Amino acid sequence: MHPATEKLISALQELSIQVDACDYQQRGYHFEIDLEADKLRSLAECMLAQEMFLVFVGGLHVKPAIEIVYQFASFERACRLVVRAAVKADNSMPTISDIYQGANWHERETRDFYGVVFTDHPYLKPLILAEEDVDLKPLLKKDEDLKETSEVRWAAPVEEKPEAEKAEQG
Amino acid sequence: MGNLAENNTLHADLEPAIDIPSDNHYYLNMGPQHPSTHGVLRVLLEMDGEYVVEAQPVLGYGHRMQEKMGELKNWRAFMPNTGRMDYAAALQYNHGYVGLYERLCGIEVPARAEYIRVITSELNRIVSHHLWIGAMLLDMGAFTPILYTFDDREQVLDILEDVTGSRLTYCYFRVGGVCKDIDDNFIEKTRAFIKRQRERFDIYNDLVTGNIIFIKRTEGIGIISPDMARRYGVTGPVLRGSGIAYDVRKNEPYSVYPNFDFEIPVGQNGDSYDRYMVRLEEIEQSLRIIEQALDQLPDGPFLGKVPKKLKMPTGDCSFAVEAARGELTYYLVSGGGDIPYRLKIRVPSYSNLSVLPELCQGMLLSDLVAAMGSMDLVIPEIDR
Repeated sequence: MHPATEKLISALQELSIQVDACDYQQRGYHFEIDLEADKLRSLAECMLAQEMFLVFVGGLHVKPAIEIVYQFASFERACRLVVRAAVKADNSMPTISDIYQGANWHERETRDFYGVVFTDHPYLKPLILAEEDVDLKPLLKKDEDLKETSEVRWAAPVEEKPEAEKAEQG
Repeated sequence: MGNLAENNTLHADLEPAIDIPSDNHYYLNMGPQHPSTHGVLRVLLEMDGEYVVEAQPVLGYGHRMQEKMGELKNWRAFMPNTGRMDYAAALQYNHGYVGLYERLCGIEVPARAEYIRVITSELNRIVSHHLWIGAMLLDMGAFTPILYTFDDREQVLDILEDVTGSRLTYCYFRVGGVCKDIDDNFIEKTRAFIKRQRERFDIYNDLVTGNIIFIKRTEGIGIISPDMARRYGVTGPVLRGSGIAYDVRKNEPYSVYPNFDFEIPVGQNGDSYDRYMVRLEEIEQSLRIIEQALDQLPDGPFLGKVPKKLKMPTGDCSFAVEAARGELTYYLVSGGGDIPYRLKIRVPSYSNLSVLPELCQGMLLSDLVAAMGSMDLVIPEIDR
């Protein structure tokens, strides 16, 4: 492991944040973190101090609560982290737009699509959707489609012989 | 004449317009139909005379909710959508999307297909930079360069049209390979293009690079510091212009990029001029990649065996590629089956444009056009 990555992991562990390693070949990122919303801001400050950049902020509608997904990566080395945090009971999340200014638009977009309120955000107006669509929340799932958190967590694929005769060519 | 002298002294300390308290502020709408916003972007500007006090980009005019469509369709049905986000570099969007499924489902891709992908993707990158050079200079009032770059662009579009069937919104890659093989005619034409493009750089340099008006309008304009780039998540040539050599093709290599010898051009000052130089140099690097890929091109199938209906494992998967404008990341959450539970598309121009409010404070309006032009924005990509 790259020394700077080791430093990042130990800095995160000092904040008593559990970091799990992932197989990059299968997942496309190196570490994943499941986080409580309260620790988000200290995590973001730690990330910035360790020279990581914010790739994106997105939402994920699952039972029991909407999750906000943050991805961080490094400009200098191959190191990519996915952080998931469930929103608080009042459907809110602390903003990190004062730490990573780039999060400002991502949070506004997530507010458009999921209706999650980012507390202390400087300008939480609709960004992608029109003003009148403020309550549309287009990415919320219908009840029958909604899955439990555990149903969308990584489960190593079961080894199965590919059905060669059904395979398609051309 | 006395007035003139007074005006000159005024000019000397006009620089930080934002600090001058003034009741004469007014609002100016740049866009949504302004030619330099390349699509339908609106920037609401608070102005103090010729100086920008605050800029607020207003997005969403071209919004199609691609992420929702991604949750409703399997990969085959969503494939054409990927080419309709960044229409200027559609093949890289194809690449990221098929790469995502290949990674998640562990699908092997034949070597020839990977080489074809790299060759066509790099041709697409060149085309995108051609478009950018022409369009940016057109924004700044130089009409001639676009005639030259579009002449070159046509050469590549003809080559790509032969193999992909379209000239702009490509849908050429498939999970497991590509949908049509390249032939000797393609290889011959591509080699001829490489030779021709190398000769054309002299024209670009004579026309643009050394042009005193161009230099005066771009040097020191719109400086993005490395720290600012990190806080906003700026990627691509805009980031490399600021001196950070971050390129997904080198940092987290995908496809067969590790097999090629190429460099990542970087700038020093992070201004509009450096971003121009980075993109110009990137065309040459792409030519080098294509040249090596054509030399090494293996024989074999161009499309592997892929089940008709993919069985995705549950969980999430991410795939990043270096698109012409920066890092493009597809992030998929699967709940099993063949349709994604969630598809997040991280587009480079989105983060690149979000710098604008901080970047253009106290800037002249005409410099804003140069700074925005140098970012190479494609609005349908931002709006998705």
